[in-house]
Amino acid sequence: MLKKGDIILVGIIVLGILMGFGWNRFNASNDTGNIAVIKQNDRVIKRINLDTINKPEKVEILGDYKEVVLVEKGRIRFEDADCPDKVCVKTGWLSNKGDIAVCLPNKAMIKIEGESERLDGVAY
Amino acid sequence: MIKKVMCLLVLSTLILTSCGYNKSAENTPVEKQEFHMGTIITEKVYGAQAQIAADEAMKRIKQIEDLMTINVPGSEIGRLNEEAGKNEVKLSEESIYVIETSKKFAELSDGSFDVTVGPLVKTWGIFTEHPRVPSKEEIKSLLSLVGYKDLSIDSKKLTAKLARPRQIADLGGIAKGYAGDAAIEVYKDYGINSAFINLGGNVVVLGGKPDGSPWKIGVQNPRAENGKYVGILSVKDKAVVSSGDYERYFEKDGVRYHHIIDPKTGYPSNSDLIGTTIVADKSIEADALSTATFILGLDKGMKLIESLDGVDAVFISKDKKVYVTKGLKDVFAFNDESGEYQYVEKR
Repeated sequence: MLKKGDIILVGIIVLGILMGFGWNRFNASNDTGNIAVIKQNDRVIKRINLDTINKPEKVEILGDYKEVVLVEKGRIRFEDADCPDKVCVKTGWLSNKGDIAVCLPNKAMIKIEGESERLDGVAY
Repeated sequence: MIKKVMCLLVLSTLILTSCGYNKSAENTPVEKQEFHMGTIITEKVYGAQAQIAADEAMKRIKQIEDLMTINVPGSEIGRLNEEAGKNEVKLSEESIYVIETSKKFAELSDGSFDVTVGPLVKTWGIFTEHPRVPSKEEIKSLLSLVGYKDLSIDSKKLTAKLARPRQIADLGGIAKGYAGDAAIEVYKDYGINSAFINLGGNVVVLGGKPDGSPWKIGVQNPRAENGKYVGILSVKDKAVVSSGDYERYFEKDGVRYHHIIDPKTGYPSNSDLIGTTIVADKSIEADALSTATFILGLDKGMKLIESLDGVDAVFISKDKKVYVTKGLKDVFAFNDESGEYQYVEKR
């Protein structure tokens, strides 16, 4: 009943479906690396893949105030700032998806892209 | 037979791939962060029109800021203050609504939430770069200018007036709350069913998450770094707004002064609470009530919340106890990583 060619064709289609599934799943759980974004005045200053950092790096943010962002493997933080309240520095290290630190006076922020699995946000 | 099998396979391939495509598009939110209203605003919006909805909501917030700020001359509320003791001022419907709501909560809280605290907020300079501790005499003299009853509103003519010169209405404790509600209305206008917005700590959510589960909102630990929490609220279609002595403060001669001025004393509020979080349907209510209860303290604050329908609260006291109202028992999950807090389920 089934010709050899039909079986091959069916096989290819089935394979195609499975690959489609696989691709979707791969896309959904695209967990390769945490990407940190440094923004000021709603503009991206720098994007950094935190997993590929081998030596600590420093990024300066200028503006009304001067801030130093420290980047290490897997984590990032405001290390120093000359703004009045230093909330950004007090926020400490960011290392999980969705983590964010903000300097309001300098309109600067660092953020790790993606969504936190534990939490959608914090009321403060 | 073969043809049927083939047809089915081709069809199922199409369905599966299209499903997969739709799913990933709907599950990827449009995220946006901008600085407005003196704080950072974060949006996470899901749905086909998420991008335009998120953009328009930000514009809306900017509009509200322009109407209600008193930091830039020429705003509506700025004019209301300039004309204090002189003339009635014509205002937009939304400014009237916000002022009326602020008066309602001033009455409910017996003046603990009072937008006419403006002269004191200004003299402390807490939101400026040069905060200072005013003299006792100065505070005493400015206290005489505080009083929500001096703020008269004509909601038909859309006018308002402050009774005495030098009085200042400061909507800083309620305008962000209103802006949160307005953003949700914008999302709805674009057919959005699932969205999250955080206006400098005021969280408002539309619906649940795209998979139908509730949003998980942390309640800030008042004595830890930003983002550390004492528990998690699971909510849909709610506003979650916090007030606390940790949000903004300055130190002088070893004393810490926070930004929530008690309209009765003229000094930063010194109740037995260090943090309050209100869960309500409207964020304008939650915003006013978080400040009111923070100033009222645990007992009076708890009584006020329990007297209102559809409003709940998490209170954190100075002695590091966490209290919740009955309605939150199944909504709030105590989860204190610091191990310093004690959960009091029922008082």
